[in-house]
Amino acid sequence: MGWVTDSAPTRAELSACVQCGLCLPECPTFRLTGKETFSPRGRLMAMSAVADGVVQVDAAFEAIMDSCLQCRACEVVCPSLVPFGRAMEGARTELTAQLPSSQRKARHLVVGKVLASPALLRMATLGVKAGQKMRIGKLLPATLRSGFQGIRPIMPVAVEAGSTYPALGERIGRAGFLTGCVMDVWFSEVHAASIALLQRAGYDVVIPPAQTCCGALAAHDGDMKDARKLAQKNVVAFANVDVVVVDSAGCGAHMKEYENFTQDGEAFSKRVFDINELIAIAIGSGRIPTSATERGDVAVQDPCHLRHAQRIVDQPRSMLRAAGYNPVEIDPDGRCCGAAGIYSLLQPVLSQQLGAAKADQVRVSKAKVVASANPGCEMQLRSYLGSGYEVVHPVELLWRAVQEDDR
Amino acid sequence: MGLAEELVALVGADRVLVEPVDLYLYGTDASIDRGPVKNVVFPESTEEVAEIVKIANRYQVPVVPRGAGTGLSGGAIPIGSSLVVSLTRMNGIEDVDPINMTARVGPGVINLDLSKHTKALGVHYAPDPSSQSICTIGGNIANNSGGPHCLAEGTTVEHILELEMVTADGQVIVLGGQAPDPVGLDLRGVVVGSEGTMGIVTSAIVKLTPNPLATRTVLATFNTVEDAASAVSAIIARGIVPAALELMDKLMTVAVERFVGAGFDTEATATLLAEVTGHDSAVDAELEIVREVCELHDAKAVRVAVDEAERARLWLGRKSAFGAVAQMAPDYYLHDTVVPRTKLAEVMAKVYEIADRYDITMMNVFHAGDGNLHPLMAFDSTEPGMLDRVHAAAKELVEVCVAAGGALSGEHGVGIEKRDLMPLVFNEYDLDAQARLREAFDPDGLFNPGKTLPEGSRCFDFGRPVPEGVWV
Repeated sequence: MGWVTDSAPTRAELSACVQCGLCLPECPTFRLTGKETFSPRGRLMAMSAVADGVVQVDAAFEAIMDSCLQCRACEVVCPSLVPFGRAMEGARTELTAQLPSSQRKARHLVVGKVLASPALLRMATLGVKAGQKMRIGKLLPATLRSGFQGIRPIMPVAVEAGSTYPALGERIGRAGFLTGCVMDVWFSEVHAASIALLQRAGYDVVIPPAQTCCGALAAHDGDMKDARKLAQKNVVAFANVDVVVVDSAGCGAHMKEYENFTQDGEAFSKRVFDINELIAIAIGSGRIPTSATERGDVAVQDPCHLRHAQRIVDQPRSMLRAAGYNPVEIDPDGRCCGAAGIYSLLQPVLSQQLGAAKADQVRVSKAKVVASANPGCEMQLRSYLGSGYEVVHPVELLWRAVQEDDR
Repeated sequence: MGLAEELVALVGADRVLVEPVDLYLYGTDASIDRGPVKNVVFPESTEEVAEIVKIANRYQVPVVPRGAGTGLSGGAIPIGSSLVVSLTRMNGIEDVDPINMTARVGPGVINLDLSKHTKALGVHYAPDPSSQSICTIGGNIANNSGGPHCLAEGTTVEHILELEMVTADGQVIVLGGQAPDPVGLDLRGVVVGSEGTMGIVTSAIVKLTPNPLATRTVLATFNTVEDAASAVSAIIARGIVPAALELMDKLMTVAVERFVGAGFDTEATATLLAEVTGHDSAVDAELEIVREVCELHDAKAVRVAVDEAERARLWLGRKSAFGAVAQMAPDYYLHDTVVPRTKLAEVMAKVYEIADRYDITMMNVFHAGDGNLHPLMAFDSTEPGMLDRVHAAAKELVEVCVAAGGALSGEHGVGIEKRDLMPLVFNEYDLDAQARLREAFDPDGLFNPGKTLPEGSRCFDFGRPVPEGVWV
């Protein structure tokens, strides 16, 4: 039957792969299994097999696609520049169309609708809050437990839709801030630090009220319909700002690729910045002060969608140095921590192995504080590290240092 | 029980592939052919490999060992519905001995992982194929693989001390040893480079090499490929053996630069990457010789990498060259031949002439120091008649190299690709001797059949039964 949707992997995307195999060692699932069926090259070859009519979109094909973390470490080393992440989203869209399972439909309800609905998220948050109070973590099944235990204690929401936070000092421009879905309610301290630093850096920060979930999780899971809707909505919502600032690596990576989801996406994507990028520039130009106080070691965890998808590596380290911390490298290869959006729920066995390995890397480094610029990674790290470790966004450390030095 | 059921009973369902789409992924490697796969099995120990071979014997199914599947000559592509034995999970590194400079490794250990593992001890595994970030030691042994730094250090065969392997009848034997000159017939050289036709290597003791005290990397550009090739010969004629001497032509440099952005000059017709290693004072002296010789041969510019980061970027570019070709065309076909260094300039001119005549995009990147050419044709196989033109041009390329006194394969192996070209360099008695040696190890011809030797290599056919479906 071949492909049936207009999002399917294209001939050009697939034929860009020459099967050289240089992606294999970078792929966390190939590393764990040693199998082509768990490798980027294998996944692309399976897609080509469907395109060529050699195999059908069946359960075996689904297994090959669904084991992918979409960490995109393969893209960094690919000399043929294969757009693997895009092709995988295309393959997942085909799975949605050709193998509609009730589980997939239920997932799409969550990633495409619940995450975009403030009311429903508030309800979910109340549930999480109650659960935290009652300490139900230990009672949950293993697949849910690790995710739940990684959630921060729920705090009041820090930012209000529609409000403006004015620039301090020389004005650089107008920044539209993405509050996102879970970031807004579950990571409000990160937003507070990001906005405060942006003000310091000379940005008028606005929170466009019409904005919605970025749509990354929907796109990754092959829910193209919802992903397009959400992208279009955000393009309109952020029309009147100079830059769009995102403090969740996964959301930023996705919004930089809106061209794949909506017609005006390309121009929009050029205005999208991760918070790490803008603050690092502000430090370099002296708009944010550098601390003279030594504050000790911080292990740096590179979220895949920061390091591999956005190729942002130096900036979080610059921020930590500016805050007086000594950034400690834990993983020269930047391997995925296994959180990978909803992957930890869908592939608990592989996710658990990667989570445990990442926690071990942190323990070996001896640092007790870990900086991670993505909510999923943060939850995974907190859950696998257990007590005795603090997991934070790098902006929080910098903002803390700036405040301390101000006093 | 059938083959798959017996394998599942031995290693468990998780380590046996049976689904058509899963098997399809194992029908090819990094080359352009494809063959049928009956099953794939992932052993984790020598004992399991031995049992797997015995099971395959009972079913008379051909056995194709496989590492990372990065081979370029089709060595891991099955001919006739075969059992693929993937050794990627046998990836243990044990007994690293920094004093004797040896280590015991499983066949599935990734080449570069071994050097990373021993880095803190000041030693590394010297053979460095361009695919070293993924290719396995087992695959390197099968192909006697080389790489840029084999000019000074020698290819795989010079770095293997002891081999443990499973023979065609499922026995486990050990060849060689740690002594400099082991007693008895030295069969290591028979097995290294035999492409899985003599046995399945399950463990090896490899030689480790001290990390150089100092390294200098030079980038020289030239207005003609001939100038660059002459410079290479002249450098070695001056009595130094650089650690590596690598040449890229213009088209290749453009593709590579687009990927790494290392500052390669995309206007230069030829780019020479030279590396000298050793003591500080020695490398500086050798560096001056390289610079002087390049300038004598009309180099456009000579530049020394300023730091480790620049050096790493330059090498990343060189080692990503084959993959980078996909930016030019969807398919590529790459040859691997050797010519005497002094004939480099002359042969290169003919290489371009052949490409022009067949109207095929030709890109070159090669180990100039040991005359190991990798002429690479980039094309679109969906264009009618293109594959025929590519194959015809490839045959001429090999003929030109052999006529210049060269060899069929430098380091990629013979596999399927060069099998039928073997008579260009071997007469019937040579081939017969090789076929009989192989028969001594594998009487039923079940180990990677159809590789390395052309059909009819045996002068006298004893009429031995051939497994069903095998195209010998």
